[in-house]
Amino acid sequence: MKARLVLFGIGALGFAAVWFAGARKLDPMGSYHGAYGEILNAVSVPERHSTNVVSAVNFDYRGLDTLGEEFILYISVVAVAAILRKQKDEEEEDEDEAPTQLREAPDSDAVRLFGVGLVPVTVIFGLYMISHGSVSPGGGFQGGVVLATVPLVVYLCAGAKTYLRIAPPALAKGGEGLGAAGYALIGCLGVLAGKKFLENVVPLGTPGEAWSAGTITLLNLTVGVAVGTGFVELISSFVEELLRKAEK
Amino acid sequence: MLAPWPVALPLVAAAFLAGLGDKLPRRLADAIAIGAAAITALCCALLLAGPPVVYWFGGIQPRSGTAIGIDFAIDANGAGLAVLSSLLILAALFFSLKYFDKPAHMFQVLLLVFLAGLCGFSLTGDLFDLFVFFEVMSAAAFGLCAYKSREVGPLQGAINFAVTNTAGAFITLSGIALLYSRTGALNLSHMHRMIAGHDDSLVLAAAALVCTGFLVKAAIVPFQFWLADAHAAAPTPACIVFSGAMVEAGLYAVARLQGALFGLPQLRTPLLAAGVATCLVGAVMCFAQRHLKRLLAFSTIAHAGVILCGIAVLEPGGLSGAGLYVVGHGLVKAALFLCAGMLLHRLQSIDELALHGRGREVPWVGVLFALGGLLLAGAPPTAMFFGDGAIHHALEAHPIARFAVTVASIATGAAVLRACGRIFLGLGPREPDAPGGGEQDEEPETEAAPIPWSMWVPAAFLLALAIGSAWLPREHAGSAAARMLDAHSWATQVLDRAQPAMPSPPPEEPLAKGLAHAALTVGLAIALALLTLFRKRLPEILRGPVRAVWNPLAGSLRALHTGAVGDQVAWLTLGVAALGASLVFS
Amino acid sequence: MIAPLQWLLFLLLAVTGPAVVLTREPVAQAVTVSFYGIVLALVFFLHQAPDVALSQIVVGAVALPLMILLAVAKVKRKEASRK
Repeated sequence: MKARLVLFGIGALGFAAVWFAGARKLDPMGSYHGAYGEILNAVSVPERHSTNVVSAVNFDYRGLDTLGEEFILYISVVAVAAILRKQKDEEEEDEDEAPTQLREAPDSDAVRLFGVGLVPVTVIFGLYMISHGSVSPGGGFQGGVVLATVPLVVYLCAGAKTYLRIAPPALAKGGEGLGAAGYALIGCLGVLAGKKFLENVVPLGTPGEAWSAGTITLLNLTVGVAVGTGFVELISSFVEELLRKAEK
Repeated sequence: MLAPWPVALPLVAAAFLAGLGDKLPRRLADAIAIGAAAITALCCALLLAGPPVVYWFGGIQPRSGTAIGIDFAIDANGAGLAVLSSLLILAALFFSLKYFDKPAHMFQVLLLVFLAGLCGFSLTGDLFDLFVFFEVMSAAAFGLCAYKSREVGPLQGAINFAVTNTAGAFITLSGIALLYSRTGALNLSHMHRMIAGHDDSLVLAAAALVCTGFLVKAAIVPFQFWLADAHAAAPTPACIVFSGAMVEAGLYAVARLQGALFGLPQLRTPLLAAGVATCLVGAVMCFAQRHLKRLLAFSTIAHAGVILCGIAVLEPGGLSGAGLYVVGHGLVKAALFLCAGMLLHRLQSIDELALHGRGREVPWVGVLFALGGLLLAGAPPTAMFFGDGAIHHALEAHPIARFAVTVASIATGAAVLRACGRIFLGLGPREPDAPGGGEQDEEPETEAAPIPWSMWVPAAFLLALAIGSAWLPREHAGSAAARMLDAHSWATQVLDRAQPAMPSPPPEEPLAKGLAHAALTVGLAIALALLTLFRKRLPEILRGPVRAVWNPLAGSLRALHTGAVGDQVAWLTLGVAALGASLVFS
Repeated sequence: MIAPLQWLLFLLLAVTGPAVVLTREPVAQAVTVSFYGIVLALVFFLHQAPDVALSQIVVGAVALPLMILLAVAKVKRKEASRK
């Protein structure tokens, strides 16, 4: 243990020295002289009808990165679900004796009222963020996570049975696959139309409107579906044994 | 036109299988997974056969020399790695058909996403895209590694793998951030044009940081600690991809970045030193194992050292040798892992000593295993043999590295042959209570049953491919290697849409010299294996000194491999500091 | 106007970052990491990166602490069922 600390200490000092030597040559904070950003600022509205340049970069100019990132999240969820499910299979025998901790609806009316008030606002906010990704900050990823918090709030305020009713595991799993495959398939549309992978193939619309920017908005939608359902599946697989009891 | 499919196809198939896999009949799900991998292999093979191409996603061409979109800059090295990856994934998919007692479509999903990550990683010409696919690959690999998580012990291996590799990835990302702040660009060729000739301490520190994550993945000393634990934890079909393609992908990234982006001659000495250390540590640790999967995992470390030595000379000769070596090694090592998996399936054990003589039940596995051992030691005809020769030729001026590379071939070959003799021929005395390293055996993954065709056919197929790989066109590999190191040619092709002529291949080592060297390593490997098996019959005067050297050497190295994740991260920090300091402060 | 705010947020980062590391109890750590996430989101927002700030809020301040809490809860349930 002590040897490890000494080892790490030396390493950390060296690492800090290397980092400092490199960072010392950085330009002052806030200065930018790449041509990249200037070009994008100039072309993203005329070319892609997207007033949010960040979305244009994420879903069009560097859309392939986002495809990869979506699948990082997707495969992590798949892996966690697979691992937790596998353990479940082997522990089925001792599970029956587990103390019941089934989450019933809370006694407090205040919590329930809070939930009733929060859920519609969250749903609308999430949908707004997903659909307006090409117009204003936010997009499929952020909106998807916001939407995924809805079942969680329901779980906390109305119990596991209601949770299962609004977010059945089969739906979450299907939506996750659909969203993830959808991104790649929209990419393939470009090839089918005789263009390049991930090239825009749908009408661009009027800049500044929600249904504009062509594939950028469609891709935002698929990401929203994949991320939202992915997080729900993640939550479900963590509380799976409780959910199964609620089903019985 | 083919460029996007190696990524898109496995991803779509994976999402489809994950969403609908349990509703489909098992045969259909298997067919989809195998079909997707096979078509991916075909696409990559066609890319390999063609000239270097640049594919801009979304049709977003560079504007006045500034790359805005993401490109796949595909050459023979990248496409070759993608072909190798898809063949290994194909073998893993076949092998796993009857390997898990329950339907395992989630395992197939993980393998397919892993394949997409590897292909994207090999083909991309963009630094951040490289990192994204690196992470796709890593996330899938963590899932594969933890897949048979029945016990706490093996799961620890998966956790170590995830923690060390994620730490490495963070370090790489921080290096990318430094470079981005300097260049405002992410395309490798574009960045090259902006940093070429300005290798100040920022660029050098960034080079060290960026390379670290890839060297962690490549299990280079002192970043190698996770690898054996991860292989012991992972199901056998995952091991073949880890050892055969993932480790090599880490090294490929170092070569690619050095060639297309950094072009720093300063990297030669630290990389060569790390390569030598990796060869030697891997060789000693491999020889000291009795758990077959750990033995093979440590041999992978030794061979990663050999490949790194080939890359580290930063010359076309060494690099093309490393490329050939990767192909041959990947195929041979994958076949050996499949043999170990068959033993675990049929005999329910993977401990060399416990299996003493029991392999006679399955002689054909023994034949495959012995053949694999001989090829691993450098026997012709494989691409590994020619690669080994080319690496030796390139290391002419570095006698220590040549020695280390030779030691790695001999020791890993001898370890496999020793295990082969003991298990399949029952050679040597029984040693029921011989001291092991604590980790001797692992829980079987299946019920004991005869070996189905879906297990032995992939192993035989991979060995046949390994032998067939000897006829890969070596001039093509040579000129592709020369091209890979030529950042200027790449930049004109990527940014100026020129089609530069392929450079001429480097001179080859004479065949006779390679054959003589192979005879030496294979002979010594067989001799070493026999000497170890029958060491009790040797006179004490010979055994004493060997024991006096070997026991403390193997013991102390073994003691460093504690399996504690904190230790591994401490070594990682030390390693990145050493690599960075050797570049920045010299 | 921005400079003092910048300094304040950097100071907060310098405090909350080590606080996450030094909190050893996982449930408490979920709270500190969430706070750290919010500070980071403010830093991004201040530097005119609202997209990144939004991602940081949903991931750093919501999703990550949630995953920690769920994992801890699962481990505790398992321990309870072992007993």
